[in-house]
Amino acid sequence: MTWQRETFKKIKQIPREEHVLPGTSLCAGCGGLEALRLAAKVLGDDVVYVNAAGCFTMLAAYPFTPFKGSWLYTTMGSAPAGAQGVRDALDVLIAKGRLPKRDDLKVVVLGGDGSTYDMALSSTSGAIYRGLDFYYFCYDNEAYGNTGVQLSAATPYGARTTTSPCSLQHPAGTIQEKKDIFEIWRAHKPPYIATVAPRYPLDLAEKFARAATFTGPKLFLALSACPTGWLYDPGETPEVAKLAVETGLWPLKEAINGAVTHTYIPKRKPVEEYLKLQGRFRHLFEPTKQEEAIRHIQERVDAYWRQVNV
Amino acid sequence: MRSIRFHGRGGQGAKTASRIVGTAAFLEGLTAQDSPLYGAERRGAPVSASTRISREPIRERGLITRPDLIVIADESLIGDPTARVLDGLSERTVVFVNAALPSEQARDQFRIPGRVTTLDLTDMTLRQFGKPVALSAPLGAVACRLLGLKAESLKAAITGELADLGLPETVIEGNLALAASCYDAVPVVPVEEMAGTPPAPVSLWTPVYEPPTLGSARISASANSPLRETGGWRTFRPVLVPDKCNGCWLCFVYCPDGVISMTKDDLPLIDYDHCKGCQICVQECPTKALVAEREQEGAGTWRAK
Repeated sequence: MTWQRETFKKIKQIPREEHVLPGTSLCAGCGGLEALRLAAKVLGDDVVYVNAAGCFTMLAAYPFTPFKGSWLYTTMGSAPAGAQGVRDALDVLIAKGRLPKRDDLKVVVLGGDGSTYDMALSSTSGAIYRGLDFYYFCYDNEAYGNTGVQLSAATPYGARTTTSPCSLQHPAGTIQEKKDIFEIWRAHKPPYIATVAPRYPLDLAEKFARAATFTGPKLFLALSACPTGWLYDPGETPEVAKLAVETGLWPLKEAINGAVTHTYIPKRKPVEEYLKLQGRFRHLFEPTKQEEAIRHIQERVDAYWRQVNV
Repeated sequence: MRSIRFHGRGGQGAKTASRIVGTAAFLEGLTAQDSPLYGAERRGAPVSASTRISREPIRERGLITRPDLIVIADESLIGDPTARVLDGLSERTVVFVNAALPSEQARDQFRIPGRVTTLDLTDMTLRQFGKPVALSAPLGAVACRLLGLKAESLKAAITGELADLGLPETVIEGNLALAASCYDAVPVVPVEEMAGTPPAPVSLWTPVYEPPTLGSARISASANSPLRETGGWRTFRPVLVPDKCNGCWLCFVYCPDGVISMTKDDLPLIDYDHCKGCQICVQECPTKALVAEREQEGAGTWRAK
């Protein structure tokens, strides 16, 4: 079954209005901001963002905010709990008649991969379990970026971070595999989960539009190519995101009540093309090529797509 | 002891430059201390790093409040009050500015009371590598020269520090060549020690504890981030060649900061007060209607209002 977009068919359907205004101090070329800006074009302004500490802390650095709506800041581990509080408060106000139903707000958690994969995993699990009606937007740049690029549970095998450098014992850098957060979320059977990449704006916008039709947890994993941490020129952010998808490393998919659909089937270029662009993988090519490590990464991708069965 | 403070934007190499100077001094048998100022480490945002070198053991710690040498990687930081590049400056302080202006002119234009010296490191780096890259080696080279450290120690320090960052040999070679020419080209103003100046007395301050409603930062405004201009982050600006534009919207869609809007005729309109110069629009434009132009000195240059 091929996945069809219903709302966003042409690039000129992307709304003109901006909901995340410029002037933030996020890095030039930030892939996470690129994804959030596109998502916000569908979410609109009637939103309370609940922001876990991370790079996106810098969205609303005192005394400035890029949002027309509200923004609440939490610790890395507690954004979904914060979202529960905001949702409950809105529900109580509506029930008491102190807030008209039409003024209701969407509650959107913003969390980086450090928060999502590591520290907030238990509070996210609790929020999904309770059926909290919220969005979860994870900007996944595969490391603790805001503090200077340390290993997170989202860092892929073979990437170099400041806490997983290449060494004689571990010439490939990171030895762990990236945690499969999509499957962890999916095991909870929330109504909607999707992966997105900002280089595929129509796919991204369509998924946010589809999610809006569901009540309950709606979770998004956004590939956030990161020039600062992945070590490439900021202008290459879309190219890096594109190759992540085209090599099959970052599958674009959604899961509705647990049933998975791949929304884009890449022709699958060799992973080398993606790895080569980024300084965090340079040690796999120089001074001597680490064939085995590269083959390992390729085999993991091949195995993934074999079980997808397309 | 001599105290050196580096100022740059995240990604420009101020932190690594401070390490290079520390290592070069250490290789000459001096005691050295270097540390970046921890903040949110991100490209484009103001960052600083402190280096102390001395023949005696260094007892001081922390930020350098009275620098003997200030090294400024990006002249646009001088006008940025949050960067505080000229803090603690005295008439004896040597200030190096990476700028295309001669020293005297820079001194007047930026109103720097110290002893100023300049060199256009950005231009030299562009000529060496053909694209903007981190200025760690040239900044380190300039600082080493002004401090009277030897060219050999500089070379060894750059090789060591850049190899630690995992840079390939060809890039290190290029940086060594560049550093050597910066070392020779910078107009020398010797850095004097502030020896004998007693540290200013510090009066201890007792914090007053307030309830969380007062103590936490609350922003009551809405959508006010455009008040903060980020145009100064650019080395290159995207410029539209209208004849080539096919009105496809891709630049507008891919711009992370939302600084490109489309006119009624489907031409991109770029907000240069906020464009950070990431070049995504230039890279992604299918008809090459957006080209990168170096931010120029003089009238065409963007200046913070």
